[in-house]
Amino acid sequence: MKRPALSIACTLAGVLLASGCGYDATVVPTAEPSAELTPAPASAPPECSDATATYPASAKADGPALQRIKQRGRLIAGVSADTYLLASRNPIKGRIEGFDIDMVNAVARAIFGPDGADKVSLRVITAADRIPVLQSGDVDIVVRNMTINCSRWADIAFSNEYYRSGQKILVRKDLADQGVNSPDQLTNLKVCAPANTTSLDNIAKAAPGAKLVPAINHTGCLVKFQRGEVDAITGDDTVLAGLAAQDPYAVVPNQAAFTAEPYGIGVNSDDVDLVQFINSVLETERASGDWQGSYAEWLGPLLNVKGKQPAPNYTRPLPG
Amino acid sequence: MSQTATQPGPSQAGVSGAAASPGTRTAPVDQPESVSGVHLREDVPALLNRWQLIAVVTCVLFGVLVALLQSLSWQANGRAADNAQQLVRVQELQSSLFRADALASNAFLVGGLESPAQRAEYDAALEQVQRDITDAARAQPADADALAQLNVAVAAYATDVARARDNNRLGLPVGAAYLTDAGQGLRADVVPILTALVDANTDRVVTEIGGQHPWLILAVGVLALLVLWWVNRQLAARFRRRINLGVAAAAVGVLVITLIGVGYAAVRDSNNSDVADGSLQRAFDGAQTRTAANDAKANEARRLIQRGSGQAFEDAWIVAGATVDENLTRTGYSDAWNSYVDAHNEIVALDEGGDWDAAVALATDPAEQSTRALTAFDADSRELVTDASLAATQDLRNGGPTALLLILLTLVVAGAAAGAVTAGINQRRKEFS
Repeated sequence: MKRPALSIACTLAGVLLASGCGYDATVVPTAEPSAELTPAPASAPPECSDATATYPASAKADGPALQRIKQRGRLIAGVSADTYLLASRNPIKGRIEGFDIDMVNAVARAIFGPDGADKVSLRVITAADRIPVLQSGDVDIVVRNMTINCSRWADIAFSNEYYRSGQKILVRKDLADQGVNSPDQLTNLKVCAPANTTSLDNIAKAAPGAKLVPAINHTGCLVKFQRGEVDAITGDDTVLAGLAAQDPYAVVPNQAAFTAEPYGIGVNSDDVDLVQFINSVLETERASGDWQGSYAEWLGPLLNVKGKQPAPNYTRPLPG
Repeated sequence: MSQTATQPGPSQAGVSGAAASPGTRTAPVDQPESVSGVHLREDVPALLNRWQLIAVVTCVLFGVLVALLQSLSWQANGRAADNAQQLVRVQELQSSLFRADALASNAFLVGGLESPAQRAEYDAALEQVQRDITDAARAQPADADALAQLNVAVAAYATDVARARDNNRLGLPVGAAYLTDAGQGLRADVVPILTALVDANTDRVVTEIGGQHPWLILAVGVLALLVLWWVNRQLAARFRRRINLGVAAAAVGVLVITLIGVGYAAVRDSNNSDVADGSLQRAFDGAQTRTAANDAKANEARRLIQRGSGQAFEDAWIVAGATVDENLTRTGYSDAWNSYVDAHNEIVALDEGGDWDAAVALATDPAEQSTRALTAFDADSRELVTDASLAATQDLRNGGPTALLLILLTLVVAGAAAGAVTAGINQRRKEFS
């Protein structure tokens, strides 16, 4: 009597238990933590005696690159859209504007005439895209706070220097109040710079004790800064001025730039005629005072330094 | 089914308990140990007690097990409906998020002069998301942890969009970076959680929808019939009556209940398959289509925000568009979607042709084809999902009263069968006495 009763009870208990069980908790896959950035070992930059040396200016507009642009009817320029003051999208006016954009428009006017600015196609690119888009021919020129250096001359060509910037640091207001105003004071602090830029390489050398945090661009750094993920941002003074203008708690302390950043307009290496033409445009800008007008409109009020267009350096021999 | 009353043959005359006629007692001690496999020194009353117990327990166990299986199947269908509802809820949640993202991205393009109606729709979509998260956590405790993570991720998304909007209104470019982060966070942080929820609830629906057990009921019924047949055989061997009326009646009851149970479970099983392949799949496809369509619209806006350098977003648009097209082959052709695709192609042509302003105007103006068509498609998809999910859950919940009636019938018949075998064996006991 006992055995069947026991087996029945066991069976029923088993079935009831099976029916009463809940579901396993939903498992969410955990994201792989992103690898910490270690600066790539700096390869020896190609030697050149004077990186800012470029081809002689020429106003002739009949070279192959200029013919190509004229036939297309548009000048395609790679620019930033989030570098306040240099090139950023004005959401109210619905257009990209800034000091760099004035340079693009000057080149376009020289090619197409007074309404040349209407014949510009702006392509928003990241800092890392600057050289690839020129090499692929996707754009005619890149005007995106691009430093002229020997290494880049190996890949592309540059116009004459159109602005002399320098790398500085931006810090939280409380750090600035404590006197932090140079890279050597950034030990153990988190410092942001755009990935694949000379800014990142430079800060790695200037502040070896700092923890480097890359971002897609400087505005991405500002997002991290506002979220408290980084304590400082490094970059060209022009860029940092634009970031500080967007956040009252971001301060660029008085400091000497720890690098010299000569900005040039990037061009495909084969488009020598375009480089020469742009150099002539920059001279026209100097003579007409338009360069000073652009500086006064965009950079002057925030940098509080009198602007001076760099002197031309046409000592680079023409290829062939 | 008549009870045969054949007299025991000479060889069986002394079989203990297997009386040839009422009143026959145990076999004499000098009889052989067994005749024809039947033990001669058996305690017939004890055997009758044992067989009776076995037969009664078999009937009761049959009734309880079959009723339990029917009850489990009925509950499984209820749970399948609940899980299907949860699955659709999670997918609707995803659709609402992508709808919000499409609206936020589009609004970003027009700066501070965003359409109040679209802004209200964005707020409504996010509110719907919050409500759905709460409802989903209440409906399925196993999802609670994942939904808590989702809540955090959605809050981060909404914060980024709010910062993007605020900075955009001030004309500050950092707004675009916040919008980029919001979009990346939505796709990198929120979507994996939603995918995990969809996968888990799909597994639950599949498990529960297959919770009908016709073969198990059949196995229990056959086993019960075998036991009753064996009891009848034992009785027949000892009482020279081929069939015991009580046991036979019980067997008939068990057989009928088994057939009804198997038939009903098979019908429900087939119906569940129809629901899984029909209305539930339609709801699933509809929600996926709605998500993909809004993902496409968000990528269109981001492409324009990137201004001529948004090929990655155009690639994402193509992937989302392909998902919509594939699902539409099942849920039905849509004029609204085709109209939106035409408008998108025009936007791309304008952007690639250098007329970015016209492309933005076409993409953002609520009166233009792009926004109008997508809004119409979103509304159509939402309606389809609502209708299909309602049909699916109703179909799965249908049949509750029938199942209850069947459970009751099973228990009553099993009880009656137990009574019948008791009476049938009691009859033998009386004969033996």
